[in-house]
Amino acid sequence: MKTVKTLLLKIMLLKIMFFCLTLSFSNLVLAVQTEKEIKITDPSKVVVIVNRDSNDIAFMDIETNALIGSVFLGKNVNPHMAMMSRDGRWVVTGGTRANKAYIIDVATLTLVKEIPVDFAPEHLAFSPDGRYYYQGNPDGDSVSVIDMATLVEIKRIHGFAEPLNITFTPDGSKAYVGNYGAHWVGVIDVTRHELLKKIHVGRTPGIAALDPGRYLEEIKGISNVSISNDGRYLYAADGDLGIVSVIDSREDKVVKIIRVGADPWRAYMSHDGRYAVVANNGDETVSFIDTRKNEVVATLESGPDMMGINFAADKAFVISSSSGFLYVYDMKTLKPAGRIKIGLNLQIETATTDTAGQKIYLASSTDHSVYIIDGVTEAVTRVADVGLYPWGTHILDSKDNYCH
Amino acid sequence: MIHTNKTRNRSNNIVLLALLTISASMPAFAQTQENEALLKRISELEQRLIELETNTVLSDPETRVKRIEVFVDDNGIEHETQVPGSQKVVTYQRERFYRRQTINERIEDALANAESRNVQLGVDAAIVLQSVQQNKGAKTPADGSIYQLASTDIYFTAGLAQNTLFFADIVGLSGTPQDADTDELAQTNGYGARLVQQNDLSLREAWLMTELWDQQLSLTVGRVDLTNYFDANAAANDETTQFLSDALVNNPALGLSENGAGMALVYDPKGIFSIKAGYQQSTRAATSLSDSFYKLVEVDYRANPFQLGEGNYRVWYRQDNTGTGLSAYGISFDQKITANTTAFTRYGNNEAEGETGDDIHYSAGVRFNNGLGFNPEDAWGIGYAGSELANNDEEHLLEGYYNLRIAEKLQLSFHLACLTEKMANAGTTTYIVPGTRLQASF
Repeated sequence: MKTVKTLLLKIMLLKIMFFCLTLSFSNLVLAVQTEKEIKITDPSKVVVIVNRDSNDIAFMDIETNALIGSVFLGKNVNPHMAMMSRDGRWVVTGGTRANKAYIIDVATLTLVKEIPVDFAPEHLAFSPDGRYYYQGNPDGDSVSVIDMATLVEIKRIHGFAEPLNITFTPDGSKAYVGNYGAHWVGVIDVTRHELLKKIHVGRTPGIAALDPGRYLEEIKGISNVSISNDGRYLYAADGDLGIVSVIDSREDKVVKIIRVGADPWRAYMSHDGRYAVVANNGDETVSFIDTRKNEVVATLESGPDMMGINFAADKAFVISSSSGFLYVYDMKTLKPAGRIKIGLNLQIETATTDTAGQKIYLASSTDHSVYIIDGVTEAVTRVADVGLYPWGTHILDSKDNYCH
Repeated sequence: MIHTNKTRNRSNNIVLLALLTISASMPAFAQTQENEALLKRISELEQRLIELETNTVLSDPETRVKRIEVFVDDNGIEHETQVPGSQKVVTYQRERFYRRQTINERIEDALANAESRNVQLGVDAAIVLQSVQQNKGAKTPADGSIYQLASTDIYFTAGLAQNTLFFADIVGLSGTPQDADTDELAQTNGYGARLVQQNDLSLREAWLMTELWDQQLSLTVGRVDLTNYFDANAAANDETTQFLSDALVNNPALGLSENGAGMALVYDPKGIFSIKAGYQQSTRAATSLSDSFYKLVEVDYRANPFQLGEGNYRVWYRQDNTGTGLSAYGISFDQKITANTTAFTRYGNNEAEGETGDDIHYSAGVRFNNGLGFNPEDAWGIGYAGSELANNDEEHLLEGYYNLRIAEKLQLSFHLACLTEKMANAGTTTYIVPGTRLQASF
């Protein structure tokens, strides 16, 4: 009996030893995995590049223009927009064709989490305290709320109509959502993550009844809600209505409707907050709205297919996607100041501006490059082969971080 | 001691039992977790499959032809970077990439691609109905008469090469403008200026345009209408949507009554200045271009004085060697006063054939748009034009219009003009000319 007991005890001890060994080995592997090489020590010194067709996020050194590395997200992911968290720890992006949000650890350039969200995630925003990452899902008509502490989608807010862009108020209490498939702005209560209100930006002209095709065939609503520097007013351009509605964020109501050119895409706020510059793709003009008077003070000729506006060295640089030109305007005199040819047969996309407000980093999709434009000299430097079909760029704390 | 041993044995047994229980339950627990994870995964995959089948094209990698620059050495070997003795060569290469498009996106791309290769067709049609009431001067046949003119332009546009475009405009006009009955100097129906032959189709324009020097210089050659390039005005330059009277469409001092073979050069660096130059044959009666050589230059300046909106200021000069060889100069300004209001003015001075003095033409007015109407895209305006000729004839015209945008492609406008003719030998005649214009473009 004693022998049997001794034998059983020995077997048990062996099992325990094996279990402990396995556990130690697993921990060892985990430790080896987590101790990855630190590739980025200063997140403010990198340009984040979204490569749509190579399905990765690339990181470029802002001082040497050398690629530090890239993070592959998976085949057919097609990332759309990337943004860095305010503390520089994470880069997040929505994979439009994978219906997922991706979280990248910036220091080690590691993909740490894939989070299933709704259909076709595109544009996104962080709450000012960095706690929440709101991911817009235009085809799902929803906004996913991702808790950055747990990296989990804690809520999916429904009820939007093609939500394209999300703008938080500076105090983080509310988020405004531009609905491209409607003519209203959604207001989210960030405390409860609930759609609180729908702000109607303007009425469809009565004559629309005689021209139903124009308003029924395709809708061009609100792509973005741009916020003034003090957070008091929001500027919502509506493509079909040809207006920019000014919303008072304290009362959440439209206080003024400003008529601009045809098919305005969105308003871009100048760095000093003095002007909201609107790209009107319908008549290929840009409207300059004086934010002190909330009036159009200049409407100037521009180019076709405007995808973005950046500000540097007291100038506005308007990206004319299909023409391959940047149209330049003097922000002091509000006069045209020439245009910069980026290249022939190029499709240029969107850009970001460095925190000094001097250099613009422009994604050029069809030649897989990023072009760096010096705002003062207007000299252009090409950084080739950054990935396939670069779609957008991002710099931490830049005032011109946007997508299209 | 025995007790102690017994106690120890019992303790050992309890520990053994506990360990055996844990040992036995661990695989079962792990199995349950694994099953749950698998079920969750299957559920996610099923969801993904539904999404794929309903929204996307199957995930075959796509191919795209890419324009690349390579370096070719003397032996014809291609290098990605420059090596000694190599030359940079532009070539094309296929690349594979993983972009999944929806079926709709693929169809849209294919349609857009096909469309870009086709000849584009556009139509601009207008019907102008006017009546004339004479309230001063000797009666003319125009008094109490109604006039109608129908015009249709058919446009053809085709992209031929990089930044190179072909354009043709065939126009047909039918009807009777009142100009013959009223003896007016400038026509109160600008469409009448285009009437060459009743009910006939005529080629108004046919030209080839290319852009050079980073698209800063555009060169247009063919049968051209130089008034499309010169003497432009944001508020008074288009008889299809703005004023109807010809004096408020073009400066009469331009003296260009018909289109002809010629060329237009426009240098526009997209700054505050642009320069234009052009020539054309000014009369079809001429047997050669040398016999009827009409030359025109213009400088445009863009400004926003006194913190007003944008303004366009143009100065031009022209010469025409037809007949005795006459020259003229003029200005055309338009200035946005507010976001809704644009003021304009023109002045022109041309040498008068057979006279010692010059003909003088001037006009001014204002246009309101951007919401200052019944509908947001409506526009209206009031303009005045005067001509004082070297032979002492005078004409004064006041016109107001309201352009109602019925639909994106359809507009109806209402016009009221008051025309006063002061002929040196025939006294003063005044006409009131109400009218409507229905215009469609698509």
